[in-house]
Amino acid sequence: MSLRFNRRSLMRGLLGGAGVCVGLPALDTFLNGNGTAYAEGAKLPTRFGTYFWGLGLTDTPTGGTRWVPKTTGAGYEITPELASLKSVKDKVSVFSGFRVIGDGRPNLVHWSGHASILTGIAPAGSTKFDGPTFDTKIADAIGGGTRFKVLDVDASVSRKPVSYSTRTGNSFATSETTPLALYERIFGEGFQDPNSDNWKPDPSIMLRQSVLSAITEQRQSLMANVGKADQVKLDQYFTSLREMENQLAIGLQKPEKCEACVVPPPPKEPHRSASVDVVNANTKAMAKMLAMAMACNQTKVFNFVHTAGSSETYIAGDSKIYHQITHDEPTDAKLGYQPMTSKIAGMVMQAFGDFLVEMDAIKEGDGTLLDHSLIMGFSDTGYAKIHAIENIPMFLAGGANGKHKAGQHIAAKGESVTRISLTAQQLVGAPVGEFGAGGMKTSRPITEVMA
Amino acid sequence: MATKAGLVCATLAITALLGAATFTTTTPSPVWAQASTPLAPVKVGVRRITETQYRHTIADVFGADIKINARFEPEKREDGLLAVGSSHLSLTASGFEQYFALASSISEQALAEPRRATTVTCAPKDVRKTDEACARQFVGRYGQQLFRRPLSEAETAARLKTASVGTQQSGDFYAGIKLALTSLLMDPDFVFRMETAEADPANPRAYRLDGYSKASRISYLLWDTTPDAELLAAASSGDIHTSAGLHKQLDRLVASPRFEDGARAFFADMLQLDGFDNLIKDPATYPKFNQAIADSAKEQTLKTTIDLLVSKKRDYRDLFSSNETFINRYLASVYKVPYSSSNEWAPYTFSESSERAGILTQVSFLSLFAHPAGSSPTRRGVKVHEIFMCEPTPEPPADVDFSKVQDSSKGTVRGRLLDHMENTGCTACHRRSDPPGLALEHFDGLGQLRTMENGARIDVSADLDGKKFEGAQGLAKYLRDDPKIPACLVRNVYAYGVGRPTDERDEDYIADQTAAFASSGYVLPSLMAQIASSPEFFKPVIPRLASPSAAAKPL
Repeated sequence: MSLRFNRRSLMRGLLGGAGVCVGLPALDTFLNGNGTAYAEGAKLPTRFGTYFWGLGLTDTPTGGTRWVPKTTGAGYEITPELASLKSVKDKVSVFSGFRVIGDGRPNLVHWSGHASILTGIAPAGSTKFDGPTFDTKIADAIGGGTRFKVLDVDASVSRKPVSYSTRTGNSFATSETTPLALYERIFGEGFQDPNSDNWKPDPSIMLRQSVLSAITEQRQSLMANVGKADQVKLDQYFTSLREMENQLAIGLQKPEKCEACVVPPPPKEPHRSASVDVVNANTKAMAKMLAMAMACNQTKVFNFVHTAGSSETYIAGDSKIYHQITHDEPTDAKLGYQPMTSKIAGMVMQAFGDFLVEMDAIKEGDGTLLDHSLIMGFSDTGYAKIHAIENIPMFLAGGANGKHKAGQHIAAKGESVTRISLTAQQLVGAPVGEFGAGGMKTSRPITEVMA
Repeated sequence: MATKAGLVCATLAITALLGAATFTTTTPSPVWAQASTPLAPVKVGVRRITETQYRHTIADVFGADIKINARFEPEKREDGLLAVGSSHLSLTASGFEQYFALASSISEQALAEPRRATTVTCAPKDVRKTDEACARQFVGRYGQQLFRRPLSEAETAARLKTASVGTQQSGDFYAGIKLALTSLLMDPDFVFRMETAEADPANPRAYRLDGYSKASRISYLLWDTTPDAELLAAASSGDIHTSAGLHKQLDRLVASPRFEDGARAFFADMLQLDGFDNLIKDPATYPKFNQAIADSAKEQTLKTTIDLLVSKKRDYRDLFSSNETFINRYLASVYKVPYSSSNEWAPYTFSESSERAGILTQVSFLSLFAHPAGSSPTRRGVKVHEIFMCEPTPEPPADVDFSKVQDSSKGTVRGRLLDHMENTGCTACHRRSDPPGLALEHFDGLGQLRTMENGARIDVSADLDGKKFEGAQGLAKYLRDDPKIPACLVRNVYAYGVGRPTDERDEDYIADQTAAFASSGYVLPSLMAQIASSPEFFKPVIPRLASPSAAAKPL
């Protein structure tokens, strides 16, 4: 064994045997000259998230729009409904003119749009998706090594927790629905402060592992003589069990220090209301929590829902909900668009802007958390008044660790939304060459935004 | 050093390996391949247990005072019922975390002093050491209650191993069996109700539901909980397969006060009262609304329903017309009636002038099916059809021409809906969906009586299928006389019990059962026992088996 003490062996000694901190990795001396990677060559990990909001953005019957920039390529101009993206616009690509191609399947209102974007398949019915959503593939590809393979969050204060992430098409993820619940999930029991100096492995973890191994041992006999549909359910159960085992295994490793990780104080429970001011406040609070979860090496993948497909949000005190307004409000003859609808769309988009700003506020390495992430923002419809599944607004935000040539506007003429889904998967390094079915099957990512 | 270098890179790889661990399953025997060999058992249903089933089961097995503090996985309504949706649900990763913490907390409580003495009926020879006989007795007893069937030797052995590891590490027998219990509580055989079909001895080429699966079906239908010892004994002895044995159990279950739990769970599902868990109202519009009102509204409807249909065994259709109900202090403020009782709840009968009639005019229905800051005739109408008449409304067309539908900030909402009714794309559905809701428009989004909206008088006349009626009381009379109402209840009880929606093959059965329901005078307990005693209730639907290669595929 060599006793030579060099930079390489120091690196090994310090980083060996423990989790590589994905938040802010140790000191700059461990980073290469640009601060983009460990000196050893390991890149800062890429994070991925989806951000969904309901009811699209506003078009006008005459063909105009309140959101699509006139210019394409880099340096697009900020339109009224994109105002909230102004401060991060160079880190956000805008995609317009992409559509769902249903191959004769009906347009299931407030369902077909995001189902197609996420699964690549126009759904046959409006209670389930016809395949797994691609975020689960990304989580499988890059979500390891942290306590949570993925965190699902829903800010909408809906009647039921909203999630569009599914492995089976039937069982959707269970979202955290309040900032406090999200806080407790991340920083409550089981959280190990990576910056704590007196870490000790918790001996109860091994006992809990033995609880699960008794179940895993029975898997074979359990899966025998099971119908296909039931097998899918049991597979999902065992996937969840393995994620739990993974969580326990990580709990036995000493976490690497993370400079950017500052455990936030527990948030106050907000007033329960689906009004847009409350949902936006939730979004901001939850974005802070999610960003810190990534900075503290707790997860690398998330799914975020601002409002559901048929959004129930409204302006406090108004007897009509946003959804109803998008349908009922007449187009103003002078303005050429629905003024109230467009106003609320802008408020809804404010939350997306705020969300990205929170991600951008965390410094790591030579840039920010947003620079090392890719967030796909999207909605269920284009022009909500007519349930359009053409021109669905979609965004890719964040640098994806230098892979995303951000800050562009890509205008398509009726191409499939799945091209953007495929692009997102490839930008974060999921091993996918093709995505979607039928008319939405594609192997062509949008190379203009790929570095 | 080399080892450490390996670890640097291995950190992420370890979890990647865990994530990619592959499992194989044994090849399922080709169950129908050869007529001469007996049919191998096959699992015909895997249903995730609901929150109330979980709670009732834990209370029955360990005691009603065990605290259950967890967020349960959201349920999913399909064909009108969560019970049908539960056949399609699994456990997500975050749900697994929740259930795991809950299972640990339950075993902790079950084995804490002083309850330990009742939970564990044997004593270990040495409390610091493994005692296999006592552990085996413990695992066998709770395994049977939680899995709703006896455990296989392999299932028992796996738990004995967990218990032994735990005892060795902690030097405490009870710490070991606590882990074994947590493992039982996390097992798919507890979290899901697994139903098994076996060869029918009377016809070896046909399947029948096995005795334990039958016991579970009737127990969850009638009591909303795991089968009790007597029911399991009837399954074990085979008595449950005989007509006399089955009827004996059904009579016992229906006559028990616990039947109320079963009926409550059924109506909470059918009436979609789970919507109250997260119901929100705009505080500026409905300052009175809060969680206490929501909880009270749900409870009022359940209390009314159980009192009328179970305690008093009244005609099911009276649910739509009877004004006998219960209120509490919170609800009295919404109904704007005095509350003078010193009890938490008091019986109350609405007067004729209250405009109320039956459960459709209770706060529960009126507030659940409305907007956060307003009423919604369409939502209410859609739900009257869906819940009580089993007539789901199709999805609205995507390309509606809304150009005629204009702003309705003036006048009543009726004007806007009449525009819908005249629109060719909308008329077919809205002509059916809206009238019941329009008749209920004298009640705002919280269920408070009103006669004016935006300064205009509210017209509550309605016309459905050529029959004209006026207001909530007119609607109640219309519904009480509609034959679709009892037929829909029959359909719902059956679908709820078997965990799948009815289809055209069930039509004759539903018609026969509806006729029998009518001749019983539309009495609910008789209906439930009658359905649970019919052969169709236990008829297994044999699934297409998963192919062995698919089963062995890494996930």
